[in-house]
Amino acid sequence: MAVVGGVVGGAIGYVLGAAGIMAIRAAVGARAWEVESVTAGAWLVAVSGWLLGVGAWKYWVSPWFGRPERTYATHGWRRYFDFDTDHKVIGIQYLVTFLVMFFMAGLFAMFMRWELMRTGEDVVNADQYNAIMSLHGTMMVFVAVAATVGAFGNYVVPIMIGADDMAFPKLNALSYWLVPPVLVALTVSFAFGGYDTGWTGYAPLSVQSDVGGLFYNLAFFTLGLSSIIGGLNIIVTVVTMRAKGMTWGRLPIFVWSIFITAMMSLIFTQFVALAMLMVILDRTAGMVFFDPASGGEPLLYQHIFWFYSHPAVYIMILPAFGITLEMISHFSRKPLFAYKWAVGALLGIMGLSSVVWAHHMFTSGMAESLRKPFLASTELISIPTGVIFLSALGTLWLGKIKFTVPMLFALGVLFNFLIGGITGVFLADVPVDIQLQDTYFVVAHFHYVILGGGIFGLFGGIYYWFPKMTGKMMNSGLGKLHFWAIMLGFNVTFLPMFVIGLQGMNRRIADYTPDLEPGNKMVSMGAFFLGSSFLIFIYNFIYSWARGETAPANPWGARTLEWQIPSPPPHENFEVPPIILADPYGYGEADSLHADMGIGTLEEAKDSERV
Amino acid sequence: MLSAVASDEETGKNRNRVVIVGLVWLVATILGEIAAVAITWEPFGNSREARISDEAFDLLVYMSVPVMVFVLVMMAYVVIVDRDRGENVDGAPVRTNSMFIGGWMVISTALALVAIVTPGFSGLDELAAEPDADLIIDVKGERWNWTYTYPDSGVETQGTLMIPVDTRILFRITSTDVIHSFWIPAFRIKQDAVPGLVTETMVTAEEVGQFSEFDELRVQCAELCGVGHARMWTGVEVVSEAEFEAWIGASQ
Repeated sequence: MAVVGGVVGGAIGYVLGAAGIMAIRAAVGARAWEVESVTAGAWLVAVSGWLLGVGAWKYWVSPWFGRPERTYATHGWRRYFDFDTDHKVIGIQYLVTFLVMFFMAGLFAMFMRWELMRTGEDVVNADQYNAIMSLHGTMMVFVAVAATVGAFGNYVVPIMIGADDMAFPKLNALSYWLVPPVLVALTVSFAFGGYDTGWTGYAPLSVQSDVGGLFYNLAFFTLGLSSIIGGLNIIVTVVTMRAKGMTWGRLPIFVWSIFITAMMSLIFTQFVALAMLMVILDRTAGMVFFDPASGGEPLLYQHIFWFYSHPAVYIMILPAFGITLEMISHFSRKPLFAYKWAVGALLGIMGLSSVVWAHHMFTSGMAESLRKPFLASTELISIPTGVIFLSALGTLWLGKIKFTVPMLFALGVLFNFLIGGITGVFLADVPVDIQLQDTYFVVAHFHYVILGGGIFGLFGGIYYWFPKMTGKMMNSGLGKLHFWAIMLGFNVTFLPMFVIGLQGMNRRIADYTPDLEPGNKMVSMGAFFLGSSFLIFIYNFIYSWARGETAPANPWGARTLEWQIPSPPPHENFEVPPIILADPYGYGEADSLHADMGIGTLEEAKDSERV
Repeated sequence: MLSAVASDEETGKNRNRVVIVGLVWLVATILGEIAAVAITWEPFGNSREARISDEAFDLLVYMSVPVMVFVLVMMAYVVIVDRDRGENVDGAPVRTNSMFIGGWMVISTALALVAIVTPGFSGLDELAAEPDADLIIDVKGERWNWTYTYPDSGVETQGTLMIPVDTRILFRITSTDVIHSFWIPAFRIKQDAVPGLVTETMVTAEEVGQFSEFDELRVQCAELCGVGHARMWTGVEVVSEAEFEAWIGASQ
C-alpha cells in the first residue's frame, strides 16, 4: 500500500539526510551527531522521501522520465490511502485526517480542564500541562486553518464552478500528503516530552525549549508549505476553470470565501514559515536572530509571526462565513441578500487583515506610538464583518426557513460569532486590552471566533455536504441532538471564561489562585459535556457512512451545481459541461435557472430544479 | 390594479414587522442597559489606571448592548415568524434594500469611528497624561522570580512588592532570560519584560491594601515562560507614605 511505501521512503530519506548533515558537520569540525541540527536537516529529505514513496514517484516522477503512465483505481477504500489526484478523494482525505487531529486535540483539552478543575497540580504536573496545552493549541490551529479549505475547498469548489477537477491535480495530492508528516512531527514531539511554548512559540523561549520544540517548528513549516501550494491551486482553479457563463458576479458565495482564503494563504503563510525557519536556524545553526545578547531582537519574532497569524484568523473564519451565507440562502429559500456587499466585505476583511497584526502586541514593549494606528485599523474590521451579518439577516428576513441540521449550525455560527466579534472590539481598545491581554478573556474570545464560528461552520458543512460526499444521509435526529448539545456545552464552557478572565485569571497556567476555583469548576463541567457531545457525532458519522439511508442527488433542494449531479458524483463530475445562466440564488424568482446541465431540454432542467 | 393592491398589503405587512422588531429591540435594549449598569463587571481595582480602563470597559458594554440585542432580536424574530410551516414555497425574492443597507453602513461606520476609536484614543491620551514619576522601581523578571529594586535607596527584594499610596510610580522592566509579563490585576497595568530591552509603565495606587485582602493585588507573570510560569507571582502591598519610608529604612 502507498502509505507503507511512504514510510519506507521517509525512513530512507531520514537516514540519507542525516548522513549528509553529519558529513557536513564533520567537515567543518563539529561533532557529527547532534540531534537537533541532524533532525532539522534530515526532515527535508525525509519528507521528500515520504512523498516519493507514497506515490509521487509512481504516478508523477517516473512517467516524467518516460516510463508508462500508471492509472488509478477508481473505487474502493484503498484509493484514500493512495496518491490519488481526484479532488473528491483528496477532499475526503483532508476531512478525515483533520477530524482525527481535531478529536486528538479535543482529548487534550479534556485533560487540561480536568487539571484546572481544582487549584494545585493534581492530574498532571506543570510541565505536562504546558506540553498538553501547547499541543492542543497547535493542533486546533492547524485544524481551523486547513480543515474546511482542505475538505470542502477541494471537494465542493471545483463542482460549484462546473469544473471536472482542480487546475493542478498532482499538486493537490502533494499538498494533502504533506499533512501526515505534520501529524507525525507533532506526535513525535510529544514522545520527546513535548514543548512548552504554546502554539505561538515565542522566541526566545522557543529557541531554548527542549528538542520537542524543534518538531513544532518543523510541523508548522511543513503545514505552511501545504497551505501555500493548496492556496495557489485553488486560486488558479477558480480563475481558469469556471464553466461557461460562471462570471465573477455569479460565483456562489462559498467559492468566493474559499478563493479569498486561498489568496490569504498564498500571501501570508510564507511569513510564518520564515518565523519558524529563523527559530530553527537559531536552534541548530547558531544564528542569533532572536538573541539580544548577540544583537538579536525577541520582538522581531512576534512581528513576523503575527503578520501571518492574524490573517490566519480570517483564513479560519472566512470559509465558515461562506458556508453560513450559502446555507442561509438555500434553507431560507431566498436569494442571498446584498450579495455584492458580502463579496466586498470578504475582500475588505482580507485587505484589513494585513494591517492589524500588532494588536497582539499592545503590551509587548513595541513603541507606544504604534498603539493608536493598530487600535484604529483593528476597529475598522468590525465594518466589513458587520456586512456579513447584514447579508445573513437580510436573507433570513421574509424567508421560508427550513431548520435542517446544517441550517442550525449556520444560525449557531451567527450567534457565537456575534459574541466573539463584540468581545474582539473590547480587546482592540488598548486601555481595556492592557488588562485583558493574556487572560482567559482572550481565551474565551478566540474560542468564540474559532470554535464557535470556524469549527461550527466546519461541522455545518459536514452535515450539509455529507450526502453528496458519501451518497448517504446522516441521521437528522442525532444531528439535531448533537447541535443542541454542543451549542449548550460550548456556551456553558466559554461564557464563564470571560468572567474568570476579567477576575484575573491569566492564560496558559496549570494552577491559579483559590478565588478563581468556582468559575473554573463550571468551565470544566461545560467542557466535559461539550467533549462528550462529539461522541454523538462520531457515531452518526461512522454509522451513516456505513449504513445510512441512500441520499438523493439533491436532498436539500439547493440550487448550486453540486446538487444537480448524482450523490456521490461520478469521476468526471459532469456528463456534459454545464452552462451557467444566472447566479444560484434565484429563489422565488420566476423562470430563474442557475445552469443548463446539458441533459435533456432546458424546460426539463427547470422542472428538475424545482424539487 | 390587482398587483398594486397586493403590493400595498405587502408593504403594510412589512411595516408592521419592522415596527414589532423595533419595539422589541427598544424594550430589550433598555432592559439590557439596566442590567449592564447594575452589574459590576470588573474585579477589585485600585489605581488611577484602573479607573481609566474600567470606564473604557463600561462604555464598551453600554455600546455593545443595542448592537447585540438588535442581531439577537432579528434572529429570534425570523426564527419564530419566518419559518417554513410545511408550505414548501420560496421566500420573497428580495435581493437588496437600499434603506437597510445604507442605514447599516452609516451606523456601523459611525459606531466604529466615533463610538469606539475616539474613546480608545482619548483613553490612551489619559493614560499618558501624567508622565512625571515620584518613585522609580526597577523590575527584573527571571525564571521564575520577580526582583524589585528601588534605585533611590538601593533596596532590593524578591518578596512582596511594596508601594506607597498616591505616588506616581514608574516601573522599568526587563528580563534576563525569556519574555515575561509584569501584570498587577488590581492596577490594570501590564507590560512585557523583554530580554535586552527596558520597557516602562506607570501607575498611581489610590488606596492602601494588600494581597491577603484582595487576590488582585499581586504581581503575576502573564507571558508563558516555562514550567514555573503559573507560580511566578508575588503579593503587592500598598502602604501609606510614612510606612513605606519606614520599610525602606528598615530594609537598607
